[in-house]
Amino acid sequence: MIEVNDLKKSYQDVQALNGLTFSASDNEITGLLGPNGAGKTTCLRSLYGLIHPDQGEALIDGVAAQKEPLTVRKQIGIFPDKFGLYERLTPREHIAYIAELHGLKGEQQQRNVESVIKSLGMEDIADRKTQGFSQGQRMKVALAQAIVHQPKNLILDEPSRGLDVMSTRILRELMFQLKEEGRCILFSSHVMQEVAALCDRVVIMVKGQVVANDSPQALCEQTGESSFEEAFVKLIGTDEGIV
Amino acid sequence: MTSAWKTVWLKELKDAIRDRRSVMAAMSYAFFGPMLMAVAFFAVVNQATSKSDLEVSLTGAEYAPELVRHLQQNGIVAHEDPEQASIELTIPEDYQEKLASAEPITIIIRADYSERKGSDARRRVESAINGYNRIVAGARLMMRGVSPEVMQAITPARQDTATKESRAALIMGTVMVFVIMSVFFAGMNVAIDTSAGERERNSLEFLLAQPLTSADLVLGKAFTASTFAMLGGVLTLAMIPLVFMFVPLEKLGIDVSFSFLTQATLALVLLPVALFASFLQLLVSFLAKSFKEAQTYITFVMFAPMTVVFVLEFTRFSHPALAYLPITSQHQALLGSINGEPVSALPLLIGGVSTLIVAAILAFVVQWKLKSEKVVFGL
Repeated sequence: MIEVNDLKKSYQDVQALNGLTFSASDNEITGLLGPNGAGKTTCLRSLYGLIHPDQGEALIDGVAAQKEPLTVRKQIGIFPDKFGLYERLTPREHIAYIAELHGLKGEQQQRNVESVIKSLGMEDIADRKTQGFSQGQRMKVALAQAIVHQPKNLILDEPSRGLDVMSTRILRELMFQLKEEGRCILFSSHVMQEVAALCDRVVIMVKGQVVANDSPQALCEQTGESSFEEAFVKLIGTDEGIV
Repeated sequence: MTSAWKTVWLKELKDAIRDRRSVMAAMSYAFFGPMLMAVAFFAVVNQATSKSDLEVSLTGAEYAPELVRHLQQNGIVAHEDPEQASIELTIPEDYQEKLASAEPITIIIRADYSERKGSDARRRVESAINGYNRIVAGARLMMRGVSPEVMQAITPARQDTATKESRAALIMGTVMVFVIMSVFFAGMNVAIDTSAGERERNSLEFLLAQPLTSADLVLGKAFTASTFAMLGGVLTLAMIPLVFMFVPLEKLGIDVSFSFLTQATLALVLLPVALFASFLQLLVSFLAKSFKEAQTYITFVMFAPMTVVFVLEFTRFSHPALAYLPITSQHQALLGSINGEPVSALPLLIGGVSTLIVAAILAFVVQWKLKSEKVVFGL
């Protein structure tokens, strides 16, 4: 369960978040949409306590990220906006590192690492150093790191960028599976078809504020558009900023 | 604080060891320092032990063959090309006449006396001539039935109190500067890579979003850099006796003995310095905006402690407080171990603790800085 209450954050003269309020419940996939610079990444960063909002709070399972960042971080899996890999380590070592930081040890750790490698279909690259990995392969390592400790809540910042068709399918399957397991998934994306297909609920934000918050179908009906993309454009009130 | 720092430490170590270039850079320094010193000493030893012939321009040599022979015995010979000699010796035509009539003879030593480099050579010529003067004068007194000893009312007797160890200290002090330097430089690459490098390859944000305190993170990273720093320091310590086996230091009357126990103690003394250096390097590279910037800043920052050590080394400045301060106390301990006056345990302990306190303050500042968005995202 992720809740964001009246979040405000400004950088010098830019108001990145301006009273943002929404929630993402367990057992659901929530999509966070918005044009470039709408404040999506800032919002996600304040969820894991790396950004301190000027006002308001971000709650994970009822715990404020600003007050108890360590408790919160144990409950979430993160796929960040920017992620880098250690070129000299293998994916298996990457995943085990994060698992260990989450307190998984010994056999338990091995079991988790093994299962996440299998579920993402990365057995063939698991023991190669990550130097020279393709974008898709790197994404898989990052995804594996996000879910190895089986977090209750998942925060994914554009998880599908750079993935090939097969990997996108794997990702989609994975998200559905995690949802079935009763987890809370919050992800940002620019791919409208993906959002329409995956999300139970869509939060559309512009200039740090929520402009729409409903299921994709409901948003289509509300705007009277047949495709979700058209509905999105209508809702953000401009056709700028779509990648 | 949990054991998360250990996880970070082990992972960073694994990562750093796989970076061949980083390892080579760290270790090459440990080899390079003592080697450089050895080459320098080789030159010093050769210069100090072989007195080459001094060539002067000699006019009127034919008037005083005995004097010329005496000069030759003292290593002063006529230059083949008189134009090139910097010292001009002129023996007067009436040398033999004046010698026979026991009149004072003037021998001109013509040279540029403001030239510092030749002062040794000029002194050699003068003392050789003075020596000959004493021989002739002594002979004259004997012929007149007077003992030449009447001319020596007082003789200064030189007693050298320099021990072999203290002479060694003079030279080895410079080597010890290299030991401290290698501690500072061996961990530098790793420290930059694990901080500014981590941010530049965009993995810092993800790491900070994991459930570990920034103190754990900083400790793990600093310990990695310290491990390399210690490796560099220990390697340099181990290299010193090896390298000096090949330098004929005994010709200078220098005795370099370095027992294994001494080396182990010194390594222990260096440990706080390694921690201090690593935290300092982490702080600087986290504050820098990029890897490149970090490299530039660190080079500057490293100058500070190095300058202190070098200045102390070359000015031989001493003050009781130095035995207790970071870096200088370790420097004194290193020096003490070779000049035969081992530093007592108390200042050593206080010096170590004071270094650790400074390191702890730096550590606190780094982990505090890591809570700032500006530092994390390199804004």
